[in-house]
Amino acid sequence: MENAARDEDWKMCFTRFGPGLVLFARQWVHSRADAEDIVQEAFVRFWRRQHSIDNKALLYATVRSVALDLLRRDGRRARREAVAALDEEQFREPEFETQDEGQQLLAAAVDRLPSDQRQVVVMKIWNELTFAEIADILAISQNTAASRYRYALATLKKNLQHHG
Amino acid sequence: MDDFFELEADLKRLRPAPVSAVLTLQIENELLQRPGPIIATAGILAPRQSAPASWLPFGLGLAAAIALFAIALSLSRHAPDSKTVASSPPSAAISTEEFQPSSVTRVVYDTRDEGLLFPNSSPQPLRRTHYQTRETMQWRNPGTGASLRVSYPAEEVVLTPVSFQ
Repeated sequence: MENAARDEDWKMCFTRFGPGLVLFARQWVHSRADAEDIVQEAFVRFWRRQHSIDNKALLYATVRSVALDLLRRDGRRARREAVAALDEEQFREPEFETQDEGQQLLAAAVDRLPSDQRQVVVMKIWNELTFAEIADILAISQNTAASRYRYALATLKKNLQHHG
Repeated sequence: MDDFFELEADLKRLRPAPVSAVLTLQIENELLQRPGPIIATAGILAPRQSAPASWLPFGLGLAAAIALFAIALSLSRHAPDSKTVASSPPSAAISTEEFQPSSVTRVVYDTRDEGLLFPNSSPQPLRRTHYQTRETMQWRNPGTGASLRVSYPAEEVVLTPVSFQ
């Protein structure tokens, strides 16, 4: 019975956080399949240690750690991703479910954010982390996390006004 | 931050693409295949669950021994019903219905040093040693002279704290 409860726990947890985790992992890899691989390894590692979602920041820190390990382990992958980043305008798998042109523009604007700003926005908006948790995950101060978020919103607003 | 209130609301309305069903299945498989905590091994050993799994052969062997012993005991209770060709006078001092443990031996035939572990819960590293043994338990019925012997292979993993100077 306990195992069944745990089984349901992880499924509920993954249903809730999975899409945000994959979005979070996409900032290090440009293929959705690679991002899902990272999330898979991180989630399994996290769940086997924690068996609960009490420490949400640790889950995201694990995703970050697995992603960085992957890039360090495989230099070719890093170079390939760097090339892919240059070509990302040509083709990029969708990261969001968009319903209209406005949402498509917004999604594209988020994709174009500098990496350090984008990851804070992703954690804050779609993973509902606090600045304290974000600071903890990225090993930065809360002020820096809040500043990056503010800069990101300013950049988004500017880009959207430019397109509008 | 109020300047961005509307923008934040728009961002929250944007939903991340859902994860594939394959990913959920793969996670489920991994959690089913390798349950239990991971022990950090600093790259010296591949993480794996050790001690609890290694006691499984011992437990099965012990269960088999108990089952055999119960069967032997049951058979010995039916002994008076069987016909005997020759018999010695029964001794009043010795019960003919009891098997008594007579010996237990444990022969270690392989020892393997599997390196150091660095578990999070321990302040110092642990050396993991894997023993392969054969254990033999013997019972004897003093009344009838019958004996019962059970022998089975067993594995044991011993974690020994290591201190460096």
